[in-house]
Parts: sequence; structure tokens; C-alpha cells
Amino acid sequence: MKITVSVNLGGYSFNIDEDAYSDLKRYLKNLEIHFAGEESSSEILSDIESRMSELFRQKLTGYKQVINITDVREVISIMGNPEDFSDNEGPSPKEKFSTPGAHRMYRDPDKRIIGGVCSGMGAYWDIEPWIIRVIFLALVLAGGMGVLIYLILYIVLPEARTTAQKIEMKGDPVNIHNIKDSVKREFDTVRKNMKL
Amino acid sequence: MDLENTKAQMRKGILEYCILSVLSKNSCYASDIIRELKEAKVIVVEGTLYPLLTRQKNGGLLSYRWEESQQGPPRKYYELTAEGKEYLADLDKSWDELVESVNLIRTK
Repeated sequence: MKITVSVNLGGYSFNIDEDAYSDLKRYLKNLEIHFAGEESSSEILSDIESRMSELFRQKLTGYKQVINITDVREVISIMGNPEDFSDNEGPSPKEKFSTPGAHRMYRDPDKRIIGGVCSGMGAYWDIEPWIIRVIFLALVLAGGMGVLIYLILYIVLPEARTTAQKIEMKGDPVNIHNIKDSVKREFDTVRKNMKL
Repeated sequence: MDLENTKAQMRKGILEYCILSVLSKNSCYASDIIRELKEAKVIVVEGTLYPLLTRQKNGGLLSYRWEESQQGPPRKYYELTAEGKEYLADLDKSWDELVESVNLIRTK
């Protein structure tokens, strides 16, 4: 027995196995990242979803009513992965995001206690955020300068919102592969949290 | 040198031209275009087509209309605009010139 999920793909409703669903979701997320720099990315994505929906419908018969992981893999191999159609025109994935390997300081919203300044600095220098927190606390206790510095940094540093920014914050080179890894990590965390 | 990569580059260069040529005969929806391109072996993965179609539409070469279908949701039918027809005529000419140039070099 398997749990199925109901999804709307290209205006059509499908029952899909849970494992197949997570593969499909990850694939669509990768496409979304790939086309993020494109002028009409949502239109491209919805066209691709309509085509996938058509291919899935061809896989269903009166006796087979659920999309399984083999179907998803087959359809993905027909559509192709972003790497397979990355360099036909327009910016390559590397140029689409800021300079590869850029290292910038951001506020880190994932590990923040107040505004993410200390966690962002920690991620930038690759040290534990609590060390920076202790320094700030010492500055606050030594006459209040810490509060001012914190406020200035809070205003000056942008928050790392996108996956590319989070990678830049840590200084890894930004390319489609480690974005994928990062998205997969986030996805796995969400999945783990949901199971708890 | 990577032969497969060189071949892929050659195919990608002419894909845009092939899409316009397919549409010059009839207005089609994406799956019709895919079928023709696959028969002619100029496309490997389908995902390559959709960004190209959208770029050509945004560039004023194509327009589309929604049409009802018995087999499912409405379909997007693409057709060449007047600008697209002109663009294609230019590409036709430059394709003939290319073929001629390559033949000239190969048979010299």
C-alpha cells in the first residue's frame, strides 16, 4: 500500500505516488531555478507543465489510475534536465546569477536570533555565530556601541533570501549544481520536519 | 574534441529556424511541433522547445491562440506573424547560402 498525492498539473488532476511526487516536485523546482532569469519564465514553466500533463495522461488507462515513479522518470527523460538545454541561447546559468564564486556578506535569516546580522557574519567568515554574538554583547555592555554597530549593519546588509544569495554568503561558487544541492537540502529538511 | 557536443551545437543553431519552418506550413500546438522536430531528429529533449517558442513569441515572430480540444484542456496554437514570415524568408536565404558555402568548401 502506498500513499498518493493529488496534484493539479496543466489544469488536470492526477493521483501520484508520494515518492514520484517528490521527484516531480524537485524537477519542477530545478526548472524554475533554471528559467529564473528569463523574461517570461512563468509562461515557459506552464507550457512545460501542460506538456508533461499530456504525457502523463497517455500513461493512464482504466486499469492504471495512479502516476508512479517510473512514469515520472520517463516523462522527465523526455523533457530533459536543465543541463541538457542550458546553452541554446540567452545567458548561461552561471552568468544569470552574479559572478561565480562571489563572496558577499548577507544577513542570514535561517539562523538568526534578532536580525540575522551575527549569523550572517558567521557564515561569511565561516566561524560560529555565537562567537560574534559574544563580541557584540561585550560591546553593548562596554558602553552601548554594540547596539549602534548592530543597527548600522542591520540596515547595510541585505538579507540572503534566494538560494543563490545563500550560497554567495558562504562563498561557494554559484552554479546550477550546488544550487540544486542546496535546494535538495532544503527540501529534505522540510520533509524531515513534516515527519516529526 | 567532443563530437557529441559539436553535433549538439550544430543542432541548436538550426532549431530556431526549424521551428519557424514547421509553423510556416500550418499553425500548430507545441506537441505537433515536437513531433515534426523529433521525426527530423533536430531535437533530443523536449524542454529545449518551450523557452525558444516563448522567446520567438516575445520577439514578435509568433502569435498564439487558445483552441478547445476533445482530448483535454485547451491548447495553445502558434502561428507566424507577418514579421515572423519576413524573418523566416531571410533565414531561408541565409540557409541556402550556408549550404552552398559548405558544399563549395567540401568539394573543392
